Amino acid sequence: MIGVIFGVIVPYIAVAIFVVGVVYRIVNWANSPVPLKIPTTGGQQKSLPFIKRTVYDHFDSPYTWWETAGRMLLEIFLFRSLLKNTRYYLDRVSQKDARWLWLFGILFHYSLLLVLIRHSRFFLDPVPSFVEQLSDIESFKGVFIPSVYISGLAIVVALFLLWFRRIFLSRERTLSLPSDHFALILLLAITISGNLMRYFFKADLFAVKELLMSLMSFNISHAVEVAETIEPIFYVHFALASFLLAYFPFSKLMHAGGVLFSPTRNMPNDNRARRHVNPWDPGDVPLLAKGITVAGRTYKSKKLDWDTYYEMYKDQLQEIEEADYKIVPEEL
Amino acid sequence: MEEMPEKIEIRQKFPSWREMLKPVKEFEEGRLSYISLPKQVDSEFFKMPFGDVERDFDDLKLPENWKEIFLDALKETLEKNRSFKLFMDICVRCGACADKCHYYIGTGDPKNMPVARAELLRSIYRRYFTPAGKLFGEWAGARELTEDVLKELYYYFNQCSLCRRCSLFCPYGIDTAEIVWWVRRILSRIGLNQRFMTISIEASSRTGNHLGLLPGGMYGAIQQGLEELKDYTGLDLHTYINKKGADVLFVAPSADYFATPHWYVMLGYLLLFNELEEKYGLTITWSTYASEGGNFGTFHSYEAAQLLNSKIYKEAERLGVSFIIGGECGHMWRDKHQFINTMNQPPKHEEWKKFWENPDLGELAEGLRGIRFDNYASGEHGWIHILEFVAALLEHKKITVDKSRNDKWIATYHDPCNVARGMGLIEEPRYVLRNVMNHFYDMPEHTIKDKTYCCGAGGGMLADELMDLRMRGVMPRMMAVRHVYRKYGVNILLTPCAIDKAQFPPALEYWKIPIEVGGPMEMVGNALVMTAFGEKPEDRQFDLRGEPLREEEGEEGE
Ligand code: HEM
Ligand code: SF4
Ligand code: SF4
Repeated sequence: MIGVIFGVIVPYIAVAIFVVGVVYRIVNWANSPVPLKIPTTGGQQKSLPFIKRTVYDHFDSPYTWWETAGRMLLEIFLFRSLLKNTRYYLDRVSQKDARWLWLFGILFHYSLLLVLIRHSRFFLDPVPSFVEQLSDIESFKGVFIPSVYISGLAIVVALFLLWFRRIFLSRERTLSLPSDHFALILLLAITISGNLMRYFFKADLFAVKELLMSLMSFNISHAVEVAETIEPIFYVHFALASFLLAYFPFSKLMHAGGVLFSPTRNMPNDNRARRHVNPWDPGDVPLLAKGITVAGRTYKSKKLDWDTYYEMYKDQLQEIEEADYKIVPEEL
Repeated sequence: MEEMPEKIEIRQKFPSWREMLKPVKEFEEGRLSYISLPKQVDSEFFKMPFGDVERDFDDLKLPENWKEIFLDALKETLEKNRSFKLFMDICVRCGACADKCHYYIGTGDPKNMPVARAELLRSIYRRYFTPAGKLFGEWAGARELTEDVLKELYYYFNQCSLCRRCSLFCPYGIDTAEIVWWVRRILSRIGLNQRFMTISIEASSRTGNHLGLLPGGMYGAIQQGLEELKDYTGLDLHTYINKKGADVLFVAPSADYFATPHWYVMLGYLLLFNELEEKYGLTITWSTYASEGGNFGTFHSYEAAQLLNSKIYKEAERLGVSFIIGGECGHMWRDKHQFINTMNQPPKHEEWKKFWENPDLGELAEGLRGIRFDNYASGEHGWIHILEFVAALLEHKKITVDKSRNDKWIATYHDPCNVARGMGLIEEPRYVLRNVMNHFYDMPEHTIKDKTYCCGAGGGMLADELMDLRMRGVMPRMMAVRHVYRKYGVNILLTPCAIDKAQFPPALEYWKIPIEVGGPMEMVGNALVMTAFGEKPEDRQFDLRGEPLREEEGEEGE
């Protein structure tokens, strides 16, 4: 019974929620209008030819499409903004670096990446050779028996470090919501159960692969059959992972997709070369002059166009006309 | 500054997450902005919803269905604006931004951490717009919108100077300034506007500038500048105003017409324009209609920003200028760099189009040939920063300068937030300063350029009633200034920003750093040799403050 519920039904539901949820969120973001081009510039703009820009400026204040793409890649693969992190000390002007968050973050995400890549051997047949090679490299093949995968352990360590930040640093403790702890605990549970399964309570990995392959080919009767044969420890891991998938679209974990959409990062700093058009405001007449409607009432501001202005301050403007639009020091 | 105590204490507090979700009930003296009066937000030229009621903080007199209106406005904002929606969704509360905010550093108030500021609204967003928040309430970090919560929103969303320092360090570029901006817009839909910024918005929507100067007043102010220049330089100078057919429209923040030390910068502009006209025939005009470069609307809402900046392209068109030069101002350049040509249609008149086909100053004044702007600007925008302009003139050796005239100054440069993080104007001012003066030192690297600390008064926070907030917020900047003051003997803090120039003098006094404040164009004006008027480098006797350039011998010992 456990096998059918957690080996077949739950994963299907979880994947469905995950896919629909993530697609919905992404499409929703992608379809939201971007009214303004507002990159946060972190370096020298492209300007007059003799104003030199460093390599960093090209990425921190990108002007071309390529530079912007570079900025995004640096954010995604190197967490560049976090790398700039500093801490403020009330008692001194000098700064001490505080890039622990960056280090822990990188450790966690790259371990996660490696773990996910290694997991692909359960979904792919034949297993791509680079997956095998990667696994061999990180386990220092042959040194330990059975092989010890560094990423699998590193991810647990990194998660604990990230969690300790939230528990022991006062600012971070104040900021952390239950959902922040929850995400870390959930990931810890998944990774710890995975490691336990690997090193202590062995599960039949061939059966697992067969289960996943038949789930993927919608061979449900075979999946049910195999599912019943697998050890319960596997279902602890598998159920938690399913839960993570289902939880993903509703949580802050969506940052994985969101980071690509951030208008302060993914737009070039080329406002002066190319006009950005606001989809909901053509910019012909100020919106306030058209009037804004709130709770059924329209509030309209009078537009101060030149003619109105001229009418209002005619005397003074005519004096300026009489002076032929020129200001000279008054004769004393 | 009687209201500021001699000593301030920074009390850091670290409440629990549940505590953070509860609205604060105590509002500190000196951090709470006054609410607008009907004369500011129910004016003919600036009419905000429910602006006709006089409110104070103890009695908000909210419209009956305020909650509905608020949530509708929030929904609309989410639908209209990807960044806002995304920023609501993806923050992981990593805390990288937390200690980047000068207001948090200075006040220690946990809700002044940028992420906490955003969470004030995010909690409401979760409650009404996300399944988790609807289901799990507080445990999902969600909370009800109540009048107390609303007060808290008003209080904290008016303790942000829109400096975007937090955004620089956030791994997703979450721009709290952006969130604050849109929340202020939502608040304005139920009649809550901050008085300080709306005073200027209203004045600008009615007269063309924040100060409410009428054409004659502006004319008189500039005229007085020319008279002072005559005293200091002995030269008979002039300038144009509202002049059709000029080559360039010049737009400065209106504080430059009156305030000190802005005034010295104003004199610097005037000297430069005269030299260029006399030498090359380039004519630059001011305008009484487009008399404000700054835009307090950008502190308030998209619509208010647009209402104010819509005049300038229109005026460029009416006058038939070829391009626009903008003066020394910080938020003005966020507006003029990132907003203006989206919020408005760029000019389309003949002269403009013709110039931008081949944007070489030689097309306007033969002697200036070789200075081109097509590297980064086009007719779809058409604005050049005065310091970019001067940098180009210096690089092409079109103006003559005598650095030694600034020898009494040992300067440091403050990057205005908006210019650094909303534009990327970082090296141009330094290039100019190194070329017009001998003693220039930067503050520590992590407090300047893109990482610059705010002056603590931007984004509408220059209000008098916010003195406590201002003097605390400026602390990180002041500590960096004190560092170069002690190390290099710096005696002037230069900044191309009108708000800085108003905030720094009291701040330096409060933090007991006995140095002056000025703008780069003042240094340019001092150093500029008016060759076209026959001036020799050694001719100038006075600087733009009216003080002798060189100490008289013998005087020193006294
Ligand atoms: C394109 C992919 C991704 C990028 C660029 C990315 C980037 C980041 C960054 C910059 C942080 C903040 C620093 C930190 O706390 O470590 C972060 C936090 C986090 N990420 Fe990702 N991430 C990605 C994918 C994922 C995925 C797929 C997951 C999980 C299933 C994940 C889980 C987390 C968690 C749990 C945190 C919070 C750590 C904490 O609470 O301290 N990320 N991510
Ligand atoms: S740095 Fe960005 S993601 Fe991190 S807490 Fe601040 S706003 Fe949220
Ligand atoms: S924009 Fe500046 S003032 Fe506002 S929260 Fe961010 S750092 Fe603080």
